[in-house]
Amino acid sequence: MLTGRGKGRIRPPRRVSDKASALVDIDKPNTTLHDVTMSPRRRRWCGWGVGDMCASSMHSPRSVGLTNPTENVDFDTIWKELQMSFIEIHTKDVSKISFEEQYRNAYKLVLKKMGDRLYECVKTFEEAWLKDEVKTKIQSLLLGGNLISAATVGIRGMSMNEKRVAGEKYMKEMKAAWEDHRLCMGMITDVLMYLDRVYCTENKKPSIFTATMCQFRDHVLRSHVAPDGPEPTTIENILISVILEQIQMEREGDIIDKTLIRSCIYMFEGLYETEYEDENEKIYLTSFELEFLNASRQFYQSEGESLLRNSDAGTYLRHTESRLREEQDRCRSTISPLTATKIKEVVEEELIKQNIRDVIEMEGSGLNFMLDNDRLEDLRLAYNLVSRIDPKKAELQKALQKRVVQMGAEINKAAKTAVTAVAQPNEKENGKEVAAPAAKAAPPPNAAALQSIAAIRWVDDVLRLKDKYDNIWAKAFQQDHGLQTALNRSFQEFINEFQRSSEYISLFIDENLKRGLKDKTENEVDAVLEKAIVLLRYIQDKDMFERYYKKHLSRRLLMGKSVGGDVEKQMISRMKLELGNHFTQKLEGMFKDIALSGELTTAYKGHVRQLDDGSRERIELSMSVLTNTFWPVESWDSTAKATCIFPPDIERIKAGFENFYLGKHTGRRLTWQPNMGTADIRATFPKVQGKDAALARERRHEINVSTYAMVVLLLFNNLPAGASYTFEELQTKTNIPPNDLIRNLQSLAVAPKTRLLIKEPMSKDIKPTDRFYFNENFSSKFLKLKVGVVANGNKVESEKERKQTEKRNDEMRGGIIEAAVVRIMKERKELPHQQLYSEVISQLRFTPDINMIKKRIESLIEREYLERVEDKSRPAYRYLA
Amino acid sequence: MLYSKDQLEVRLLAEKREIAEGRLRDCNPLDTSWSFEELCEACRRGDVRACRELITNGANINAVDRFDNSPLVLASLCGHYEVVQFLLESGAICRRDTFQGERCLYNALNNRIRNLLLRYDYSKTTHPLQPFASHLVSLLSRSQPETSDIVVNTATQSFHLHKFLLSARSPYFRQILSKPPGIDSWELPYTILPQAFETATRFLYLGDIPAEFLTQEESIITNIDDLGHLLEIQGLLETVMESEDRRLAQQRRGDEMEKGRLQLEEWFRRTVLNHKIVLETSNVAGVRWCRDNPVFADVLLRADEDPDLYEPNKRTEGARDIVGENTAKPLNGHLVGPVLEPHPPPHPQQPRKSTLYPVHRAMLIRSDFFMTMFNSSFREAQRSEHLQIVSIDCSPSVLEAVLAFLYTEKAEFSLELAIDVLFAADLLLIEKLKVRAAAIISTLGNDPTTTRRPLGERPPSKESKKSGAIDIYDIIRTGWLTRVHRLEEFGAKYLADRLEDYIDDEEFAELIQESAERIKQRQETDSIELLDDIRYYLSERFRLRFEEPGLEQMIAGNGNEAPPESNHDTSQRPAAGERECEGDGFDPASPEPRAGDQVPPGDQGHGSTARTVDGEVAGGECATDGRTYQMLLGRIEALLDRLELDA
Repeated sequence: MLTGRGKGRIRPPRRVSDKASALVDIDKPNTTLHDVTMSPRRRRWCGWGVGDMCASSMHSPRSVGLTNPTENVDFDTIWKELQMSFIEIHTKDVSKISFEEQYRNAYKLVLKKMGDRLYECVKTFEEAWLKDEVKTKIQSLLLGGNLISAATVGIRGMSMNEKRVAGEKYMKEMKAAWEDHRLCMGMITDVLMYLDRVYCTENKKPSIFTATMCQFRDHVLRSHVAPDGPEPTTIENILISVILEQIQMEREGDIIDKTLIRSCIYMFEGLYETEYEDENEKIYLTSFELEFLNASRQFYQSEGESLLRNSDAGTYLRHTESRLREEQDRCRSTISPLTATKIKEVVEEELIKQNIRDVIEMEGSGLNFMLDNDRLEDLRLAYNLVSRIDPKKAELQKALQKRVVQMGAEINKAAKTAVTAVAQPNEKENGKEVAAPAAKAAPPPNAAALQSIAAIRWVDDVLRLKDKYDNIWAKAFQQDHGLQTALNRSFQEFINEFQRSSEYISLFIDENLKRGLKDKTENEVDAVLEKAIVLLRYIQDKDMFERYYKKHLSRRLLMGKSVGGDVEKQMISRMKLELGNHFTQKLEGMFKDIALSGELTTAYKGHVRQLDDGSRERIELSMSVLTNTFWPVESWDSTAKATCIFPPDIERIKAGFENFYLGKHTGRRLTWQPNMGTADIRATFPKVQGKDAALARERRHEINVSTYAMVVLLLFNNLPAGASYTFEELQTKTNIPPNDLIRNLQSLAVAPKTRLLIKEPMSKDIKPTDRFYFNENFSSKFLKLKVGVVANGNKVESEKERKQTEKRNDEMRGGIIEAAVVRIMKERKELPHQQLYSEVISQLRFTPDINMIKKRIESLIEREYLERVEDKSRPAYRYLA
Repeated sequence: MLYSKDQLEVRLLAEKREIAEGRLRDCNPLDTSWSFEELCEACRRGDVRACRELITNGANINAVDRFDNSPLVLASLCGHYEVVQFLLESGAICRRDTFQGERCLYNALNNRIRNLLLRYDYSKTTHPLQPFASHLVSLLSRSQPETSDIVVNTATQSFHLHKFLLSARSPYFRQILSKPPGIDSWELPYTILPQAFETATRFLYLGDIPAEFLTQEESIITNIDDLGHLLEIQGLLETVMESEDRRLAQQRRGDEMEKGRLQLEEWFRRTVLNHKIVLETSNVAGVRWCRDNPVFADVLLRADEDPDLYEPNKRTEGARDIVGENTAKPLNGHLVGPVLEPHPPPHPQQPRKSTLYPVHRAMLIRSDFFMTMFNSSFREAQRSEHLQIVSIDCSPSVLEAVLAFLYTEKAEFSLELAIDVLFAADLLLIEKLKVRAAAIISTLGNDPTTTRRPLGERPPSKESKKSGAIDIYDIIRTGWLTRVHRLEEFGAKYLADRLEDYIDDEEFAELIQESAERIKQRQETDSIELLDDIRYYLSERFRLRFEEPGLEQMIAGNGNEAPPESNHDTSQRPAAGERECEGDGFDPASPEPRAGDQVPPGDQGHGSTARTVDGEVAGGECATDGRTYQMLLGRIEALLDRLELDA
């Protein structure tokens, strides 16, 4: 059983000896060859196709080239012939050699299984040739000059020019030797083509060409120049240092023979470390390139240092760029393109990575200088260079952000000083008249306006800054995405640092929608709105902005000050796009209310006309019915809800409308907001005898006053001439909140143009004991008058108001937070503390105060929505259904 | 590009019509020959080896059987991936836009085969003459080595062309070139546009006309038409205009290549072979040919006669200078080679003869040998006043065969020449010719005159073997030397079929020894390749005979005897070359054949040896075969033992 296998297992030792003898065959081709021919068994085989075969067969194959038995196996003769031809090839005397003959010689040897001998002989021959002829020639050249010491020690004794001349001579010699060798080996390879194709392929040997290239490497390039010299230097080392020196000269501005160097580089590229010719093991890569990169690294290291010391940032950047370009050119024209990326990395590492931070921060010419002076060209350079080494451009980004935040902080500071400059006197006054409730009623007339201007200016400044950086971003930074994010983040940072940003931006929009836009083209409107939206994007506390916007919008709508519904709606839709449906829902509700109110008014007019018996002079009513939740009702003085006592005529209309409205919509409650209304009254002033002409006749005026003022004025209708009301009397009779009353009386009795009432004593401030008379002597050039109420428009809030707004906002936020907490807990039932926080924060549209969340949770626990989970290692909450 | 079924049927109809009208040739003709049926059978079985043999021997790969099945359809239907691949590589056509092609895809057993078919769609199949044609067209753009010998000028552009090709392909040029032999440039009528002439040139050089030359522009078309008339070439205009039906275009191109090949062949026979010079070897050195010669040759190839009648001492003698005769009229360009004069030889024996062939570098460089030669700076590549004479070490008839292949892509030579041609092709590095020569040699396997002799005949003597057409030892060794593996395979089969005749031959043992040594040099495997092959073919040879009787015996229920028999059959059938199986099956029987070693084998088919093994007389031829088989295997073993080889 299994005999076949058994045999195989038992016999290996013998096979080993077989192998050994096979090896001997190769090692000592001469002796074994004779053995072979002697051995009777093989003799026939060797002679096959030659003697025996010819004799035995009529058509026996005449094996090519072997027709003559005598020339059969004489290796030496054939080799001598071949060798002669090789020498002729080397001495450039080829024209007499017959290719066919030499090829056939080699063919014969290979066919006779003497390929290995031939192969070895060729190698020996070439080795001898390289050693005796080529190397000697180069060595003699070297020993003549002082290149060796120049290359190794680098003596300064030689002038630049001498060095160059010596180097070029040496390179020329190397180039000639190399090209000679290649050419000759090309021809020898041609002759030995059959050897290459048959013997080398079958025995997996490197081709003759490869083998001799390796020999050139070992016996010429890597041979020691002066074996007895102090330092063992190879020809290769000297060549490399000569080339590097030349390159160094070029870097310093000299002109060198690029093509000569290139041809030496070709040599390095054509040689490999091993006979397998692995592309990664080119001598160019393994020795020259390493040296070159090292030398370059040193050069650029010191160049970078000296540049930092001696030049400004712009120059540095420009120099770096030109160096980079130069190196790329060098790779193309002088050395190999293989090095292009590597040398690029070296330059980038040494000139950019190491120093870019210093360059960016360079005093007086660094990034800040470029940004401030719009040096787009330099910025572009900086960007390009930085992006070479760092796809994130961290350094640039950092510096850029720092600068933006810095600039932003300056704008904030300017705005703050403007506000405090206005606020300061205000406070003072408040301090002085702290006793009087009316103290606030008399700020310097233009302080608020000043503040508004400051607000507008803040927004303008921010926008200008934004424009500037957008421009730089687009033109110098190639619209880099990462930098855009960075810029946005910095804008966001300083805008949110400024507490009034939401208010100011809303005010800016208000300003533009109120007046600014009237004479602008559509495109300009677009641009302004777009800008506003851009800023809006940066605001973190969107709810705050919404609050202000609502407030400002409500005034615009109710006072009819808006520039036009279209633009408003455009704005809303932009916000919708930017912030989502949720944000604009209420704002849209406001518009809807206004529109509905218009219809309602018309409907009511029709209704009244039907009922009208024509007996009385009609008082027209136009009203806006506002949905409570859409409008910032609470920002209008909430005390106003305390019922104002209207004169009976008005009361009747009011009641009539209420009936009409509630008849239409059941289940609604109407609350009147007289502080937001206006009234047009027609007043007749009697003749005043004995006065100047203007007063001598009866004067009619149409006066537009606030609702409160109307109520006050109507009181005087019932008063006999000359009689008066005190402030207190007016208050009891009207039940108008004192603040509003004071303000209205101020505009009626103090403002010089619209002094319909006379106050006694005459002063700016209103005291409870002041008396008010109807001013019969009132006169005005205009038929129509408008009695403005102090602080009626949208203005910057005072510090106190802002606090209030914030407080209200916080209350609302509290509600929102609670709602979020409950929503989350209802779903999750039980959640650890940290997770709950992070979920809450992720749900909110503003950045909440952690303390606030904590408080809200506490309060929810108190109210038994939640409970703490006691037995957990980490704090956690559970939802109580 | 993709058609639905009905569209395909429409196309099938149109195709049939066009074939009937003679416009299109049927590329899937019905074939009922025996070899084609064999091929179909091999495709069903998945037998790549058989397919290769049959196709090499000329079975039409694209034909169909009575049921319209092509070999490709059968192979893909039966799911033989390797066979499908082999068929496609050998030129089987699977075209998406034809009924047959789509059917083949549809029938494919699995996606792997389907994808393979798709990969080989149309564009991949190449005409067998394509390499020939692309060599010719490459001459137009090749600058090294210099091969062109005439400049043809149009009004604005010059073309560097080859006289021999122009002369072979265009009657117009033939006429021009035959008159004054010395011209090296020619002016075309100025009306001929360079673009049109460029197209015509590509056409003459058998290049495909690239898309940018296909034009609808009337001026160029008429110009090309004129040019066609002028140069007296047919089909040029159609080729240029044709762009619609790629199948028709391909067919036309195939025809044109075939025509071009024939023209070149005719020209080759008429001029090159007609102008060959046969002379005494000693006179060769004196031959002087001018560059201006009616053959337009730029090099002379020399081949010496077989040395059978040649005596070495003659070589140095009689180097008579015949320059005087040759240079008599060297400049008028007429053939100045010496006409072989029948002047009496100085010695009674015939002097050795050499033959010179006037040839063209342009065609020679199809061989890498000549390519390197003419590209180098050696003597042969240098331009001399008279033509260089390059001697090729083979007999004139061999050289003629080689030249015929280079000029005409034809390899038609006798078996006697085949081995020499193989060697010459190896020397000259012409791989394709090697393959062709090997193919010619191995077709012998099917030659009925060399089939196995009946059993029982004595192994023939060496002489009688030689009287057969071939010496199989030569062939195997040639295969080894020239690295044509196919010959070794063929030899193994040949030997296996006649092993009885060779097993005792001393030379056979030597051959086995050599084969073993080849392996030792490589040290890769332990088995002897040749022997493995022989064993395999041996099992093939007996397998078919075993199958049926074994089955019969099983049915007959001859319990005593049948099991071991059938065991042998089944065990060796899958892999007879594997030692393990054989060992299992035959070990008990092994002493027997060894004993029979001494007795001349197969002496008596029904001899006592058989009875001793089975204990019973096994009847019929089948049992005899079984014993022969075992006996042969045993003797191989014995041979190995004797040679102290391990396999």
